Amino acid sequence: MMATESPTSSIQKVVVHLRATGDAPILKQAKFKIAGTDKFAKVIDFLRRQLHRDTLFVYVNSAFSPNPDELVIDLYNIHNMLIYVQEDLSVILFFSDIYGIAVLKFQNFGFDGKLVVNYANSMAWG
Amino acid sequence: MGISSSWDGTFTSSDFFLSAKALSGKWKTTNPAFPPWTWVPSPRSLGAAPSEVQGYLSLEKFCLHRNNKENRDDDSYYEKGDPIDKAALVYLILVIGEVIKFNSACQVHSYEQEINFYDFHIVYSNSYRVPVLYFCGYHCDGQPLTLENIEIDLPTNSLEILRESKWTFMTQEEHPILNRPWYTLHPCGTSEWMKLLFYAVSSQANREGVRIEQQYLISWLSVVGQAVGLRVPLEMLPSMTNVLT
Repeated sequence: MMATESPTSSIQKVVVHLRATGDAPILKQAKFKIAGTDKFAKVIDFLRRQLHRDTLFVYVNSAFSPNPDELVIDLYNIHNMLIYVQEDLSVILFFSDIYGIAVLKFQNFGFDGKLVVNYANSMAWG
Repeated sequence: MGISSSWDGTFTSSDFFLSAKALSGKWKTTNPAFPPWTWVPSPRSLGAAPSEVQGYLSLEKFCLHRNNKENRDDDSYYEKGDPIDKAALVYLILVIGEVIKFNSACQVHSYEQEINFYDFHIVYSNSYRVPVLYFCGYHCDGQPLTLENIEIDLPTNSLEILRESKWTFMTQEEHPILNRPWYTLHPCGTSEWMKLLFYAVSSQANREGVRIEQQYLISWLSVVGQAVGLRVPLEMLPSMTNVLT
């Protein structure tokens, strides 16, 4: 749904920034580019391979653990919209009224956004 | 309640009530075709302060599609779509249900092709000071599902955890309010990962902007829901107006 709001989103690349939390080791390659149309599962798989662990706790900055089949571009859009709102309160009323346009406008502002993905060694269960 | 860096990941029962209201409101607007999360008030327990709101959140007759061998690797139980698609899907499921009922009336009864229903309850744990998910599943004739039946509906990831840590993940316990055996997800790690989830939020500039009692249950369900195949759509993330108020 959200991915279709921008005509260029199908080919858009997203910079994913992997951030260690808790006692997780910091990765040598903490940033990588990924197609927006890829699923979040790809990010999780990358982390699993790099850290040689099957169970990881992976979440984004908005206190949310995305379903593995969410599209990276959707996470990126939602995440950056939140950050933007936090930084400049004057545009909030405008954005909240026209939710759909907000993403496009925002991307045109040329904000050097990246999707911050946090990971921790701890398991949710067990 | 704002977030401080020393926050321990737990919350109070009155925050639970506020958070429950926020979750059910958001759920209703983002998943209009699904059954709603409703607040079920429960009688006040002995020793509780009169001002305390007691109760739990309930989502009933939720349909988790039954995995088969072909889509075993795909954890999603429905494709992303707008509410109309979801409504159509629910309608389709109802139609299929009718067909199955008709078939089973004609033939020897078999549960193989049936759609299973689930009731989910979110109950506040006074000892862990976190929410706990309880659930039970049943066939469309009301017959309860066994753990073997439930396992077929679970995401592949959960099956692995279930095999590795049998007693600290999903167990059958007495429902604290209904006093019947329900399946539950063990809450002992909850406050730790809730702390992690909100860590990023708390280290951002607007510490006071995000209020835990609004966001707690939605964030919590984004993790817990994945264990049972209950998806929390991205649209349920805090909206701009919620961040502000």
